Amino acid sequence: MIEIKSLSKVYGQFRALDDVSLFVEEGEFIALLGPSGCGKTTLLRSIAGFVQPDGGSISISGRSMLGQPPNKRPVNTVFQNYALFPHYSVANNVAFGPRRQRLPVQEIKQRVQEALTAVGMSDFASRFPSQLSGGQQQRVALARAIVNRPKVLLLDEPLGALDLKLRKQLQLELSKLHKTLGITFIFVTHDQEEALVMADRVAVMSRGKILQLGKPDEIYDHPSSRYVASFVGESTLLRCDVGQDGRVVLEANGAVLPAQLAGIWRNGQSLMIRPENIAVGPAVGPDETAVEGVVASVAFLGSTRRVHLELANREVAIVDIPGTGPKPELGQALTVHWHGAKATFVSD
Amino acid sequence: MTITRLWAALLIGPLLLCTLCFFVLPFALLAVTGQGYMDVLHDPYYWRIFAYTLEISAVVTAGCLLIAYPIAYYLIFIAPGRTLRRVIFIIVIAPLFTSNIVRSFGWIIILGRNGVINNALYDLGLIEKKLQLLYTDFSVVVGLIYIMTPFMVLSLSSVLQKIEPSLREAAKDLGASPPVAFIKVTLPLSMPGIVAGSLIVFTLTMGAYVTPSVMSGGKSTVMSMLIYQQYAVSINYPLGAVLAIALLAGSLVVVGLYLMAVRGVEARYKPLEASAK
Repeated sequence: MIEIKSLSKVYGQFRALDDVSLFVEEGEFIALLGPSGCGKTTLLRSIAGFVQPDGGSISISGRSMLGQPPNKRPVNTVFQNYALFPHYSVANNVAFGPRRQRLPVQEIKQRVQEALTAVGMSDFASRFPSQLSGGQQQRVALARAIVNRPKVLLLDEPLGALDLKLRKQLQLELSKLHKTLGITFIFVTHDQEEALVMADRVAVMSRGKILQLGKPDEIYDHPSSRYVASFVGESTLLRCDVGQDGRVVLEANGAVLPAQLAGIWRNGQSLMIRPENIAVGPAVGPDETAVEGVVASVAFLGSTRRVHLELANREVAIVDIPGTGPKPELGQALTVHWHGAKATFVSD
Repeated sequence: MTITRLWAALLIGPLLLCTLCFFVLPFALLAVTGQGYMDVLHDPYYWRIFAYTLEISAVVTAGCLLIAYPIAYYLIFIAPGRTLRRVIFIIVIAPLFTSNIVRSFGWIIILGRNGVINNALYDLGLIEKKLQLLYTDFSVVVGLIYIMTPFMVLSLSSVLQKIEPSLREAAKDLGASPPVAFIKVTLPLSMPGIVAGSLIVFTLTMGAYVTPSVMSGGKSTVMSMLIYQQYAVSINYPLGAVLAIALLAGSLVVVGLYLMAVRGVEARYKPLEASAK
């Protein structure tokens, strides 16, 4: 459907896109996830046609997009600040695209009505953008894009300016809309939770490169690198080393790793465990590993408390303990353990 | 910071008093005591001059708009880099530092019978007889457009600057070619700048004296020249005053009609209760 091959874009000294390749299936929901300046917006704008890449190729449904102006591409964009035309009513904003296609008046009317209904804004057709709240403007921007029935819908941090509750609600609505429309969605966000909740596949980006592309659970359970592990969710990352007897041990306390983990370890890799997979208490049996540390901070998350433990070598273990139990004191010594099957290795 | 009423009064007071004493009061006095309104109103000669002034002003306003819009558009949307943008800005503003008289005389050198244009065309063999460029309606209009264009560029560029770049991108994204995106989005959103710029240029031109008198060489007369004649040549102060008031009233009527027309156009875009949330 969308084939992006070794795309690159340089601004002066800054590599916004560095040999990026991405293949997107028809109807897929892809999230481009990364911090600001990682190239995710540049990638999106290259697909939309607002950025001319320096190298590489983009094709949609087998047709090359290079050199095609934005108005000749089968894509539509939902802009970060909505970019609604202030001098047009909601209905006229939505009708802008169909009018450019010179559709019959009756069909334009019908399509506008359908699109507004799909986003729950049909009662606001005669309002003007300045009379709408942020969430309503967001919905109109969405309607204005989908009314054109694009092959691909590009969304540039569309929920970034909304408050948390509205954002959650719109996340669900967007997912629903994606299923009913069957359009390919490419969604740019710096919010890892948003990406994991909505996307079929997530592309984690940094410094103009895609570091890892995979399903949300793959990314979460098996991040390819330290960077991905720390950007997507919280995690304990422990450096490993080869002990005196040739066995793989933790740098923090010399604890020996279980055999099946040690077998797949490669030099330089760190052990990664998610906070929910770590529990208080010493290790029991050969498959479990334990570390000892001092409580550095405790954050109350409702059902759990998230505890940061500082280990002997200054590494930090992050542990979720039940919120109902006693609150650990700062400075208190604590031993925590995990099962080897819940741990994975990440490269630097 | 908030300013108290007393401070505000103290700050605005002197200027207000000055304007009141030396402009509003004498002017009101003139307007009330002025005689011969009827004579002026019934004399087609004055109507002709007013119509001519109006015509020149309208042409100059339209000309300024046509010249200034591309400049402002280039300045805001196309010019690459801040340095170039600043240079263009300075070039646009620089003429304002020179006196109108000097700049008008500059045009005499360019448009005159032995001026740059005539000599160039003649020497190239493109014309057989020197053209009468100077001291015509053409030279009056050219001179005024040259003087007034900076005002139009400034008011247009300040409005164009405020148009979100993403709006033009959205238009293209939704299938509009660049010209269509301009007509449907950029142009209507720049209307406030067009209106403000036209008003400034139009009113300044209606009252312009130096440029029309230099560039027409006395061969045609605009209202301000007529008024000057009453004061300085005929020493007919009452008639001069009445003509000045007629010019003011006439300009106000035209500006009012223009604003009404603009409001009619804008009503198609903006809701009546635009500010209501």
